[in-house]
Amino acid sequence: MQLLELSKKYGIAVITISLFLILSFTTEGFFTERNIRNLLDQQSTILIAASFMTIVIISGNFDISISAIFVVAPLFALNIENATGNILLSVLGGVGLGIILGSFNALVVTYFKVNSFIATLATSFMFFGFGYLISDRSLMRPVTDSYQQIARTKFFDITSATWISLVVVIVASILLTRTRFGRNVFATGGNQEAARLAGINVPQVQAITFILLGAAAALAGIVNSSRSISAQPSDDFSFVFAVLTAVIVGGTSIMGGKGAIWRTVAAAFFLAFMNNGFNLLQVDPLWQRIILGLVIVIAVALDSWSQRKNV
Amino acid sequence: MGRLNITEKNTKALVTFQNVSKSFGATKALIDCNVDFKKGEIHSLVGENGAGKSTLGKIILGAYKLDSGKTYVDGEEVSINSPGQAVKIGLVGISQELSLLSSRTVVDNIAMGREITSGMFVSAKKTKEKVLSVMKHFNLFVNPDAIVGSLSVAEQQKVEILRALNSNARLIVFDEPTARLASNETEQLHSLVKSLANNGTTIVYISHFLDEVLTISNRVTLLRNGKLIRTNLAKEETKKSLIEGMTGKEEGNLFPSIKLINESSETVLKVENLTRKNEYQNISFEIKKGEIVGLAGLVGSGRSELAHTIFGDKKPDNGAISFCGKKITQSKVSNSINLGMAMVPESRRTQGLFLARSLIENISLPYLGKFLSIYGLDKKQERNTVNEICNKTTVKHSGIDFEVQYLSGGNQQKILFARAAMGKPKLLIADEPTRGVDIGAKKSIYELIAKLSDVGESVLLVSSEIEEIIGMSNRVLVMSRGRLSAQLIGTDINKKTIMEAAFKYN
Repeated sequence: MQLLELSKKYGIAVITISLFLILSFTTEGFFTERNIRNLLDQQSTILIAASFMTIVIISGNFDISISAIFVVAPLFALNIENATGNILLSVLGGVGLGIILGSFNALVVTYFKVNSFIATLATSFMFFGFGYLISDRSLMRPVTDSYQQIARTKFFDITSATWISLVVVIVASILLTRTRFGRNVFATGGNQEAARLAGINVPQVQAITFILLGAAAALAGIVNSSRSISAQPSDDFSFVFAVLTAVIVGGTSIMGGKGAIWRTVAAAFFLAFMNNGFNLLQVDPLWQRIILGLVIVIAVALDSWSQRKNV
Repeated sequence: MGRLNITEKNTKALVTFQNVSKSFGATKALIDCNVDFKKGEIHSLVGENGAGKSTLGKIILGAYKLDSGKTYVDGEEVSINSPGQAVKIGLVGISQELSLLSSRTVVDNIAMGREITSGMFVSAKKTKEKVLSVMKHFNLFVNPDAIVGSLSVAEQQKVEILRALNSNARLIVFDEPTARLASNETEQLHSLVKSLANNGTTIVYISHFLDEVLTISNRVTLLRNGKLIRTNLAKEETKKSLIEGMTGKEEGNLFPSIKLINESSETVLKVENLTRKNEYQNISFEIKKGEIVGLAGLVGSGRSELAHTIFGDKKPDNGAISFCGKKITQSKVSNSINLGMAMVPESRRTQGLFLARSLIENISLPYLGKFLSIYGLDKKQERNTVNEICNKTTVKHSGIDFEVQYLSGGNQQKILFARAAMGKPKLLIADEPTRGVDIGAKKSIYELIAKLSDVGESVLLVSSEIEEIIGMSNRVLVMSRGRLSAQLIGTDINKKTIMEAAFKYN
């Protein structure tokens, strides 16, 4: 019982560390400074969005539209950058747009009471459309050299993208574990009726989670565009699935009320290590997919199984 | 066709139970009962809430498995292990909460699971013909193409009854069928039930409404605390005899002594002409400092709705609530909590607890504002306070970091009291505070309530258990069908007066 509890609680961390150690000892080129630095840099955008996605899912909702915010926010930021050449203004503008789009999601979900999955699927199309609208359907590039410095500046040999993701993860963790808002998020996702009777403003809590995630997704998009020195309108949903995979494999319950940001972080690295290991070992990408899918199925099945044991 | 004469000895029993018992955890829901249901009779089950009548109904339908005892159908011993098996034998239930597919048609609902097929396809035409023939046979008609969700409750009930008849039901259990019906609809249902019985269907009728029981039944079975008191012909019973039988005599003392309240104490809560449409009308009363006021009434009499309105969870249509001399203008739970109210809600699982979270998070949730510091929540102070509160409210636990789902029902209930105590409320609204807990936990919950009153906190105790109301209250309010039917004090508080008031408008 106690062992079961412990493995349930820290399982994902143990698995991630084990995989790290195994790859370090068995796979050439894995435990090198360059490879690890690259891994950290690559995971930064996922981590920024996944931290706040974890909060949204704990509160009992979903947000599909982060892919679209991830696409449209950097286009908006580059519009400002192209017009003014001011980096600070462009970042604030991009994140501001994320806040506005997040607020729109919040409005649809909490005021019009539309199921969050459907609501954010619908708003995704709108937001993707805005992307084409503000970019004139074409690729955009920054006019200043400093735009690429947002993600590429190095402190202690580590990219600013990694530093930004670290700060975001810490802020989100503190918010979730050390504030009243965090407790209200768990309560809202765990039992809405009980939360209401405990005096919690449930719609307000849910709205804040969407707004914060909107801002985080926008920031992730800007970091991504700074890294690639360009941004392009698209209908690409893949970002949200990468983020959701990390959250769910981490063991945050899709039913709400349970989860942690450190779990999401651990799972994001577990998936990154797995992917990286496959590449270094030259596993056929075909098998990579099949194994990745299997891992997600196992993670979700374990969660559902452990729920059943408790009733 | 004449009415079957049920008194005749030769009328055969369809279903017979011998020495049946059923427990849920520590609660004995049914103890050693012997009862039979004859062909074509209307047999009512009456008793207080929790007397075991619904349990017996569900056992007939195979929803619960017997702990011990024997079941006979048509004189042959059977064991009914699942609702599916019960339906096969012809035992069907019409539940309080109707179980229909509201966006499908009447025909679809009636034929559900019994569609007529030709080859591998459902034949819509033949299925509809079959449904129409059933309607004709029982002279019970509902527009077959209507969407069920658009029908009235009474019509929906007919659809459920038709579904039962379509599955060749020989016995139908009605559990509180008239609770949600208007009075003319109730009469229609009664004549329908009678004609079904005349056609040879056995009816098991569970109801709180004694007049209705007496007018339609052939026989009545009286239950109290899981025991079958008697089965008798309805014409030999009266409303009075049934109430006396349901309540029985006083039991041993479970209750602490309750302090008397000084007439001149200040008023904490004042409710004036409070009304919420279809729930309750014109409720006025006061609660004084330190007073324990019992709010009695049958399930569905509007008690819980009233309690939730006072707590700010529901908006009244009319009337006013004053708390500590100030009028409450805004119906908002957080507002009420800040003013000094606390609530232990009726259902701890669905309304009270966060089962997968720790004791500490469950207890401190409404009062996190007390632990704010510039570094976020002051967890050390929170732990100390929660530990202290747990001791005070005698919660037995193996650490405040454990999830509350591992605690016993009684301790889970005490968690809700601990949460309430955390706010040092001036008024505690406790809705069914001892539901589903064992006798030991019951006793300590009663002591907690008495202690609150000792330190000057007022309590509104909402309960279906009359003993609890009598044992704990300084004053008793009784509700009947949404109206306040009595305010009792002192020696006027007894089972008879409360039950009579509870049935006053039924």
